[in-house]
Amino acid sequence: MAFSRHTGTLAILVAVAIVAVAAAAAMRGNDASPPHRRPQKVQAEPGRLLRGEYLARAADCAACHQVEGGQAYAGGYPLRTPFGTIYGTNITPDPDHGIGRWTADEFHRALTEGKAPRGRNLYPAMPYTAYHAMSREDADLIYAYLMNQRPSPRPNREPDIPFPLDLRVLMWGWNLLFFDRDPLPAASRGQSPQWLRGQYLVNVLGHCAECHTPRGRLGQLQRDYWLQGYALGRYMAPDITPEGLARNGWNAADLQRFMRTGLAPQAVASDEMYPVIVHSSRYLGDEDLAAMTTFLLGDAASGAGPDTRAPARTPPQESPGKTADQPAPAAPPGADGQQVEPGRQTYLNLCAGCHGAQGEGRPGTMPALAGNTSLRMEDPRNLIMAVLHGFPGNVMPGATTFSPMPGFSRRLDDREVAGLANYLRTQWGGQSADVTAEEVRGLRAQ
Amino acid sequence: MTIPTRPLSLTINGKAVGPIDVPDGLMMVDFLHEYLNLTGSRFGCGIGVCHACTVILDGPDGSEEIRSCITGAHFFAGKSIRTVEGLASRQGGVIAITPVQQSYLDHYSFQCGYCTPGFVVGATVLLERLACAPIPRSRVESVVSEAMERHICRCTGYVRYYEAVKDTILSTPGLTVEG
Repeated sequence: MAFSRHTGTLAILVAVAIVAVAAAAAMRGNDASPPHRRPQKVQAEPGRLLRGEYLARAADCAACHQVEGGQAYAGGYPLRTPFGTIYGTNITPDPDHGIGRWTADEFHRALTEGKAPRGRNLYPAMPYTAYHAMSREDADLIYAYLMNQRPSPRPNREPDIPFPLDLRVLMWGWNLLFFDRDPLPAASRGQSPQWLRGQYLVNVLGHCAECHTPRGRLGQLQRDYWLQGYALGRYMAPDITPEGLARNGWNAADLQRFMRTGLAPQAVASDEMYPVIVHSSRYLGDEDLAAMTTFLLGDAASGAGPDTRAPARTPPQESPGKTADQPAPAAPPGADGQQVEPGRQTYLNLCAGCHGAQGEGRPGTMPALAGNTSLRMEDPRNLIMAVLHGFPGNVMPGATTFSPMPGFSRRLDDREVAGLANYLRTQWGGQSADVTAEEVRGLRAQ
Repeated sequence: MTIPTRPLSLTINGKAVGPIDVPDGLMMVDFLHEYLNLTGSRFGCGIGVCHACTVILDGPDGSEEIRSCITGAHFFAGKSIRTVEGLASRQGGVIAITPVQQSYLDHYSFQCGYCTPGFVVGATVLLERLACAPIPRSRVESVVSEAMERHICRCTGYVRYYEAVKDTILSTPGLTVEG
């Protein structure tokens, strides 16, 4: 009896100790106070600062670490995840609210290991799984650039993440499961210096996969489906594998043009891609944009993509038996003709005024729909979302201005939106008329 | 080549119009101008930006502005609209213009007048909305700005238009409440 009483007491003591250690770890793990040391002064010659600025742009730090109209790198952007909302932090050199007391080592560790000073785990919304392969030299240049920006006293906002996921110590487990230090995958083949540079820009600095790759239940990127497209937010980030890009009619020249200006015959940058263009890719040099394109399309295809200006004449695989040599159908194809007639009427009544009766758009003013990627994607999500909710007006780099597109959620019911989407998909997307009213209903509230 | 047409019937300014054979895809502003000689609604930018072309669509939920340059005539099949020509009271000729039309004249709100039909239509819709849902007097200025800012004027600027609409709202009983 005495032995078993001792055992019981011991068990309780051990349990209490475990809980205490866990609680201490949990509290320490969330400690966001700045390191106890003087604010760091970083001297760098102008050339290094410029390179740091270039790299900070290539890594698109601004995407999350600043808000529209806010001070550069002062943080605050709400990143909505299925687990809660995380706010981009202040990465100006403010000693108390920014990274002013961080050393270059600590900064490098945060970028490449997801560990802030004091060992606090960053949430993987910070793309350290991508930045892991960033060179120390590049991390130091970005650090020097940031440390020479104007400090902002803007306090960081705690993430709105419910218990227990708010305990950052849990990210230790996530890292154990999903922080794969092996090189990131590639969807294309290549080995040229240009392809390798593109790999670094796309996979590491640009962290394109964060939006363009499907995720698992715990938010981990699925490496087997690298860059195959995913709806992390309201819109689907398209498939940007070589096959996906070819299917949607992209070639090297148009990709580069899109990354430089946000405009291409296939798309106008909108939703979450618009800030990527504005804060990041527009600033990249011609060689780097060409390198990114080479990595996306592969060594063999780069610079020699198909001309897809008239996609209605070259529908993707969806229409077996038809070849590119056959003339374009005058009416919506085959059995779909009857089915999409109401959609055609809706198009002529509500869309053609701006986008043109032939879907040709207006240069520099209204996007063309013939050949538009949203019509060519198998998943109709982006098309339906655009019809329902419209777009805010945007000014593109180079000052091309797009007026807002009105949303038609009030004017059109689910059946009418589905009909319109089906007309557009069959007429100019090479897709089938398989959008249902139920599918539209599900996207109304988004 | 013949342009395919379909018969269109609708109500314009309280009168039944049609059936008239109208081409698919003809924009409403062209139908008003070319088929009905209602030339008051202006064709401006042609891409739905300037709002010189707006007409009033009377639906079950009340009136709303709709851009006739980017909306096809057939969209209005069976619907009821009012154009700038239909707002004043007429017996043969015009016998009385509306308060907001008078207010625009009193304030010298326009110069070339090209945008004016749109401003009349926009203000009319706003006044009708406030008649159903009055607003505090303190909010009138911001509500006018918000409702009218889509209308573009290249001559006089906007101050006199906005002042005229604001005056009309404040002097019309039932559109505002204290506060």
